[in-house]
Formats: sequence, C-alpha cells, structure tokens
Amino acid sequence: MPIIEIKNLTKSYRVYQKQEGLGASIKGLFKREHKNVHAVKDISLEVEEGEFVAFLGPNGAGKTTTLKLLSGVINPDSGTCQVMGFTPWERKNEYRRRFSLVMGQKNQLWWDLPALESFRLNQHIYGVPKEDFDATRHELCDMLDVTRLLNQPVRELSLGERMKMELIAALLHKPDVLFLDEPTIGLDVIAQHKIQEFLKSYQQEQNNTILLTSHYMKDIEALCKRVVIIANGEIYHDGSLEEIVDKFSGDKVVTLQLAESVDQDALKDLPNVIEVTPPKIKFRVQREKVGAVLSGILNSHAVEDIVVEDPPLEEVISNAFSAAEAEGKPQ
Amino acid sequence: MSNTAANSRSTFLSDALTWWTFFKISINERLVYRGDFIIGTLMRFLPTLTQIFLWWAIYDVISTEGTADSSGGPDGQIAGYRYGDMVAYYLMVTISRAFSSMPGLTSGIANQIRSGEVKKFLIQPVDMQGCLLMQRIAHKLVYYLMAAIPFAFVFYLCGDFFIDGWPEGERLVVFFASLVLAFALGFYLECTIGLIGFWFLEVTSLTFIYMLMNFLLSGHMFPLELLPEGPVNIRAIVEFLPFKYLAYFPAAVFLGKVEGAALYQGLAVELMWVVFFIVISRVLWFRGVKRYSGYGG
Amino acid sequence: MSPSYLNVFLTFARNSLVRDMSFRMNFILQCIATMSWAAMNFGLFKIIYRHTESIGRGTGWFEDEFFIFLGTIWIINALIQTFFMANAEEFSELIRTGNLDFALLKPIDTQFLISFPRVNWAQLPNGVLGAILIIVSLRNLAADPNREIYISLWNIFPFLFYVMCGVLVMYSVMIVLAATSVWLGRNQNLYTFWFYITNFYRYPMEIYQRNGIGMALWATFTFVVPILVVSNVPARVLAQPMGKSWMNWEAGYAIVAAVGSLLVSRFIFKLALKSYRSASS
Repeated sequence: MPIIEIKNLTKSYRVYQKQEGLGASIKGLFKREHKNVHAVKDISLEVEEGEFVAFLGPNGAGKTTTLKLLSGVINPDSGTCQVMGFTPWERKNEYRRRFSLVMGQKNQLWWDLPALESFRLNQHIYGVPKEDFDATRHELCDMLDVTRLLNQPVRELSLGERMKMELIAALLHKPDVLFLDEPTIGLDVIAQHKIQEFLKSYQQEQNNTILLTSHYMKDIEALCKRVVIIANGEIYHDGSLEEIVDKFSGDKVVTLQLAESVDQDALKDLPNVIEVTPPKIKFRVQREKVGAVLSGILNSHAVEDIVVEDPPLEEVISNAFSAAEAEGKPQ
Repeated sequence: MSNTAANSRSTFLSDALTWWTFFKISINERLVYRGDFIIGTLMRFLPTLTQIFLWWAIYDVISTEGTADSSGGPDGQIAGYRYGDMVAYYLMVTISRAFSSMPGLTSGIANQIRSGEVKKFLIQPVDMQGCLLMQRIAHKLVYYLMAAIPFAFVFYLCGDFFIDGWPEGERLVVFFASLVLAFALGFYLECTIGLIGFWFLEVTSLTFIYMLMNFLLSGHMFPLELLPEGPVNIRAIVEFLPFKYLAYFPAAVFLGKVEGAALYQGLAVELMWVVFFIVISRVLWFRGVKRYSGYGG
Repeated sequence: MSPSYLNVFLTFARNSLVRDMSFRMNFILQCIATMSWAAMNFGLFKIIYRHTESIGRGTGWFEDEFFIFLGTIWIINALIQTFFMANAEEFSELIRTGNLDFALLKPIDTQFLISFPRVNWAQLPNGVLGAILIIVSLRNLAADPNREIYISLWNIFPFLFYVMCGVLVMYSVMIVLAATSVWLGRNQNLYTFWFYITNFYRYPMEIYQRNGIGMALWATFTFVVPILVVSNVPARVLAQPMGKSWMNWEAGYAIVAAVGSLLVSRFIFKLALKSYRSASS
C-alpha cells in the first residue's frame, strides 16, 4: 500500500491581467481581465514508504503546487490524493501531526526570538511530551551542530544556520512524511553539503518518506534514487537518475591525454572541442559514435589516457527540461 | 553660450519628463486596489454621522425646549458655535484633513532609511523629496477625482448645517489658499519627522506622538475655541503652534470664525510655517545623507 | 498527543512579553501614546460637561455616569488592542502575501493559531486607566446624596461578564473584517475601517434614538453588527443612569449577540480559508 497516492490531480489558478497605461488602469477599477494558469494537470503518482523522491523541473512547472496540494494548503480542482490514508485538504489534525513541510524561501520561526522559543511553541502545538521533545531536540541539534546557537535570536543567524533551525523545528514531532521545497536554496556549498548529509542519515535512521524539490543537482545526486521530472504541470519522467542520463544526454564527454610527441594541431580540427590544455584535449562525441571516433584517433595518434564520461548533470537535466517544454508548447 | 542654454533646456525637459513619468506611475499605483479605494472614500464620513447625533444630544440639554435654529437642530451656543456650526465644522475639517493628511509618509521615509533603500536616491540623479511630493500630489489628485462625487453628495445632504451659507469673495479665496498651504505644511512637516530617521532608528514612536498631537492640536478633535483660556491660556499656546493649520484654520475661515485682517495674518503665518519646514527638511536631508554615506551604507 | 491550547497561549503571551521588553522604548512610547489618547478624550468631555449637564435630554448620562461609560470603553478597547488587533492585522497580511500556509500546516485549530500569537502588552495600561476612571466616578456617585446607586458584587460580576461578551462581539467583527482580505485584496484600510465602524459605539446609544436615520443606525448596530450592546450593556449595569434596572431585554440580548457573532465569524473564517489561495512561489 503506497504511503502517497495521487490520482489525476488538477489545479488551475486565476491570474488577473494588469494592463499597461493609465486608461486601462481606470477601466481596471470596474472590470478585470483574467486568464487561467494550469499549474498541475492530471498528475498521478505513487510513493512507497521509506522512499526519498526528488521533484525536478523548470520554474513554474508545478513542483511547489504539488507539494502544497499534498500538504493540504490548497484545494485541487479535481482528482484524489491519499497520504497515509488521509486526504490532505481535509486538514485533519491527525494528518497534520504526522507530516511536515519546509520551504526554503520562507521561514516560520519567530524572527526576534531565539530558535529555542519557536521549538517550544511547536512542542506545545504538536503536543509532544516533554521527555520526547528534549531527547529529539538534543539529537537533532547535535546532528546539525547548532546547539550553541539555540539562544540567539533567529534574525542574527546566517542563512545556513536558519535553515538548519527550520529543519529541526519541522522534525521535532517526528513526522512520517516530510516535504522539502528547495531547502538548500541560497546556501553556500558547505551548508548545502551539511544539510544533504543530515537528510541522508536522518532518512536512513528514521525510514520516513521524503519528497524533495530542488534546483541543485548535488542535492539530487546525493539523496534521491528516484527522480520525477515535472514540466508544464505534468509528469514528464519518473525513474532513476541513471535512466534520465541515458535518455536525455545525447553526448559523451571524452578527455584524451596525448603522448608528448603527438602533434596537437592535427587534432585541432576535431569537432566539438570543449577545452584544450596540452597534453589534454576534451571534446564531445555522440554516444553512438564514441567507439568509432576513438578507434580512429587511437589508430593515428599515441594516446596515454582516455576518460569517457557523461556530460554534467545540469546539462542533461536542462536538455530534459527543454525537451519537455518543447513538447508542452501548443502545436 | 547658446550651447549651455540648449543644454539647460534639454535637462529641464528631461527632468520634466521624469517627473511626469513618476506622476503617471504613482497614479497607476493608486488605482490598483479597487475595493480599498471606493470603500475608503465613503468611510471618511462615518465619524461625522456620530458627531451629528452626539452634538445634538449635547445641545439638546442647553437649548430652550421646542426651539430650533435654522439647521433644524436645537438652539444654544457653545464657545460661539451653534449646533449647525459645530457639525459644519467637523465636515470642513474632513476637507482640510483630506488635503493635509499624509498617511504613511513619515513611516515610509523612516523605513527607507532603515532598510537602506534610501541608497537608490543617492545613486540615481533623482531627489527623494521631489519624488515623494510627486507621489503625494498624484495620490491626492486621483483621490479628489474619484471622491468628488461622494463628497459633493454628502455636502449636499448636509447643506442645512451651514447656517450662514457658503462664503464668498475673498474668504473663499483665502480658504482655497489655506488648503493648498495645508497640503504643503502637512507634507514637509511629516517629511521632517521622517528624516529624523537618519539619526534615530525608532521614528515610529515619534510618529505616534506626532499623530496624537496632530489630532488634538490641529482642531481635528474639536474646535480650538473650546480650549480653556484660564488659569493657563491653553488656547493661545495651541494657536501659536503650526498644527492648527492642518485642520482648524481652513475650517474656521470657511465658517467665518476668522475675519478681516486676521484672514491674511493667518495665511501669512501658515506660509511662514511651510517655508520653515521646507528649509528644515532640506537641511535634514543633506546633513542626513552626508552622515549616512559616512557610514558606508 | 493533542495540543494543549492553554500552553500554546501561555507560550504566545510569554514570547510577546519577551519581545516587547526587548524593544523597551517602543513599548513605553506606545503606552504613553494610548494613554494620551484616552486623556485627550477625557479632556474633551470635561470641557463639554462645562457647557452642558447631560448628554441627551432625560437620558441620565450626567458627568459621572458618562465617565463610567468612557471607562468601560477604555477597558474593552484595551482588551481588544492587547489580544486581538495585531493578530487581525497580521492575519490580513498573511492572506495577502500567501504566507498563511504555515498556519494551515499545524495540527491545531487555525482560527486559534492566528488569533492569539501576538499579545500587545503596551495596550493593557489603558484598561487599567479605564478601571481607575470607573472607580473614581463610582465613588463620586456614591458620595452624592442626590443619586441613588447600588454597588455590589451583583453589579461587578455582571459588568465583567458583559465586558467579556462585548470583547467577543468585537473580536468577531475584527476577524470577519480581516478575513475579507481573501476577497478584497489588500486591506490597507482595515484599521481605519475598524476605527470608523467602532466610532459608533463610543457614545451612549440614546443619542441615536431621535429620528428616522438615528433609529436606523441604532437598529443596524444593535441587530446587524451588534456593537452598541458591547459598550452600553456593561456601562448601564454599573452606571445605572436614572436608576434604570439593567435587567432588561438588552442584557439578555448581549449574550445572544456574543454567541451569534462568534458563530458568524467562525463561519466566515472557514469560508475565507476555503477561498484562500496561496501566492505562487
């Protein structure tokens, strides 16, 4: 029985058009034009307990809307959804006690007070018994190394520290399901890494189910085996990261290290050269042609080392997005 | 020689164009929230309604039972105001306040200073006060365009309270002049307070106090004639301050409470206060900017 | 594992106090500001009572009685401003910016969660002033041999009870106003609107019972938006103008009004939540 079941979920927004110019503004006092934005179109998805799933997609694809639907924050136009057996938008307290939503760009902690006060508030709101609260708090603060910051007003913390506090606040009641909307956005590399490590070990320890949206490939690579690509409000691809790379990267990147004696110029007219730093040359080759091209080179030149690898993940994903957008555009 | 003339003409034109664009943008801004707008206009007159009933009840007790003055209300006088005068006073104060009130100006400036937004005025060749002035003129203009009809309607309904009718001739001119000056006074006064934000961060509390004083001392709350003159001549002290020009003075002119030479004296003092606050706000601006830049923003 | 509403509220109160104390200057100035406002009102009516002996012919609202009325208003206002005003404004803002999401995620009644977080302690002293004004006026009345007035627990407890009813009515009006942000967009005028509407309840309701328009106003603010009972019933209980007994239909109606407004506000609140659409990120 999947812990999350989404069937044919649809949600559109009405967006008011603001016209240019003075005359239009006055007209706008009496009548407003609007258009419908289809944020989520007929999405169906199943997630089993203990999975760590990534939602990937260009901006405006519908990732955040989907998470909000799953959290019960907004109502869908049509379709059904069950999380742990509950319908999210009924907003039953029993459901709300068992999941958490963390949004990277917004914070829920009280700005002027130490994080500890916000934690205490959550303790009372979620009805967590004192011993459990203390134990969980200590554990999480240790794992994220923020114990010394607990008594500082949140506004004095750095972005990374604040994010860690947000995560702790969301985990104090040990939710079974965790929704993360761009948790590492705007953080420096070290902070991102710390949070990734934390999420990985936390999920393994607790075996809870986590849905994550992110723009950062490192997050996805580090954490998720399953990636769902959402574009134009629809699911474009649902599978593992390797599948995506296979499907959407047309090229391979080859790096050759040439023997000293070889004449560099001869190789200069290779198509798709990315970089030349003697004695290395980096260039692209279409997957199917790798073998042929390589054997051609090996026959005519002395090569000391060959590396064949996938293009950077960002590029692959971006190809995937473009393909998805192209498909989504009206014919 | 002709080059500089042409240059100064073209910079004037480009300045004017910039102001005009700001003006247009400000009007646009104002029209965005429609529900807000229409309701807000009508709301202004609700307190007057209560005043009409309250003062009737007050005058009722001191009037000779059964008699009424030409407004249809009880007769009798308080501090020289008949019942009709009293209500007319509150209506006129609504007009003066429509000109002189500057909602959000002080806090806006203080916030811009505190958040550092004021930096953009230091970088761009645009003057902050001028910008704000344009915004306010635009806002008020739009307000009057849209509010003229409900205002006219209310005043038509309340015509009877104006026992002596509408003023004429020079009184009318002085009235309009005092309104324009009230606008300027309100603007530069609030600017001045906001600009103190360059030295003290928590200007909001000061604003509170200012608003309080404004309410009491400007005549918004009651006609200044009601103030006691003994043992301490509170009335004279209050009349000495600039606040009365924000509400009391235009209303008093309209109702004939100010006569003859006092009309022009009052106008002159009002003008002086306006100039005073213009100067102070400019000084504060330049000093404040220097201090601010000294901190490296 | 159900939430303890009392604990949550106490945490809110404590957090607000800590926060207010850290902005001490602001706190003090706010206190001074509200109390000055009250003082000015008091001053105005002191002046008015120099010129007239009562408000309204034959209504019984002489000076001391009226000041009891005024004190009651201060107490009610203080309670509303302390516990609810800031929260209603914040609620309006949360709707506008789409940040209500976080409140919707918590396993606790949403209306509770948005009604109580901010306790504005600086507004409470004004209520104390109101109590003092009432006590002084009552003393004056008791000492006056021409007036008959009975002050006992039989007045004080009903007074407090009806003040509570009044607060509930005002709270409901406030919530309904704030909730309209969902449909009307930016409600910058919320506080102004509130001020304009509540202006009607600041004076004894007898002043309206005079002509057609007045009666219409009286009826609207008694039966549609029952703010007149908020101030008049408790004040009458204590001040007993003209020795009127307060055991009349209005006292009973005040209870009905309190319960009714709570129900209406709850209904509108739930409706607003349904229509709420969080801003796209």
